[in-house]
Amino acid sequence: MDLNLLKKLIKMVEQSEITEFTVQEGELKVKISKNSKQPAQVHFQPAPDLSKPAVSVQAPAPQAAESKPTVVTSEQKPSKHYEIKSPIVGTFYRAPAPDADTYVQVGDIVSQGTVLCIVEAMKLMNEIECDISGKIIKILVENGTPVEYNQPLFLIEHV
Amino acid sequence: MFNIEEFDIKLDTEFIGRSFIYCDEVESTNSLLLSSKEFSQHGTVLLAEYQTKGRGRKGREWNSNPGQNLTFSILLKDDFKGVRINTINFGAAVAVAQSIENLYQLNVEMKWPNDILIDKRKIAGILLESSSKGNVINKIVVGIGINVNQPNFPGKFDIPPTSIRKEFHQLVSREKLLSEVLNNFEVILNLAFNAPDKILNDWRSRCKMIGEKIKIVDNDKIIFGIFEDIDQDGFLILKTAGKKEKIHFGDLNLR
Repeated sequence: MDLNLLKKLIKMVEQSEITEFTVQEGELKVKISKNSKQPAQVHFQPAPDLSKPAVSVQAPAPQAAESKPTVVTSEQKPSKHYEIKSPIVGTFYRAPAPDADTYVQVGDIVSQGTVLCIVEAMKLMNEIECDISGKIIKILVENGTPVEYNQPLFLIEHV
Repeated sequence: MFNIEEFDIKLDTEFIGRSFIYCDEVESTNSLLLSSKEFSQHGTVLLAEYQTKGRGRKGREWNSNPGQNLTFSILLKDDFKGVRINTINFGAAVAVAQSIENLYQLNVEMKWPNDILIDKRKIAGILLESSSKGNVINKIVVGIGINVNQPNFPGKFDIPPTSIRKEFHQLVSREKLLSEVLNNFEVILNLAFNAPDKILNDWRSRCKMIGEKIKIVDNDKIIFGIFEDIDQDGFLILKTAGKKEKIHFGDLNLR
């Protein structure tokens, strides 16, 4: 979809009494919603035809001012989900030693400072602490497997 | 036991070891410094005569006779943004090697990533532990174990151990050795921020395995190849049939 067209649509919704607006073009479905209490959001979703890859759209810079629509690109998962990423290249371990209990499991409630895992590279064992409060909803990497810099390790849901 | 006064006279640093904790027994010097809120000064050194849960990589035990060796950890709290963290890892090994060479004129060899050997026997081992929050590493603990005056090592080992006493044929001052290591480490830590390649070159010059056929063992996985070099982060560059792999795991053995 043309970005300029998108900008025009946002402006149109912003200046009108419309609070929600949905348009579909081919595979891409765009939903613009407006709420005076919460910043409005634009959701991009691929149309129901799931056999084709999702279209990624570069959004214009979000505007923070109240009652103005803001634009958020969402890749399949809702924004209340937060990813914990690896700060180094290394091997992902869920426990401090091979025979020890895992630090955390899916469903655990974690807070700031909770140790989630270790990523080891060359005898540097890096403990990754959680930097938000929430609930672990998914562990994205298998124990003992290599991870890249910035690779998502955990999916955390804000509570 | 450990004469703190003698150690202090020889310590010539600005911040490493200026906060110094000496204790008889702890579970692990690394764990204590990493988790402690009480000891938080950058450069704090914790020396313990005995660790009940001393360990190496993957929870392997590090056992040491009380009063004969050096088991200590150095706490680093700094802004490590943009620092190649593993140059601190290799730098710690270089600091220990330099100290043993300076004080006892022994020939020291590096085993990737950070073991220190004399005549293929392990004289010192290093384990770094750090913690990160939101992608930023804010705390690093450098754990160093050096076999100093222990006369013998009963038991079975992957790499046979040795001590400075066995190699130098006399008892040596632990105080002098610890201060020498910390003095050298402070200089090297500054290099990690300003000239990290110098650390890697110092390490390379002591590694005889570069260019050799090696095997890397990691649990049930074994990879064979030629140890070509280390890269700027210290990863081992392994040349295998037709390609080059970067290795950051496992135990290295000569083939």
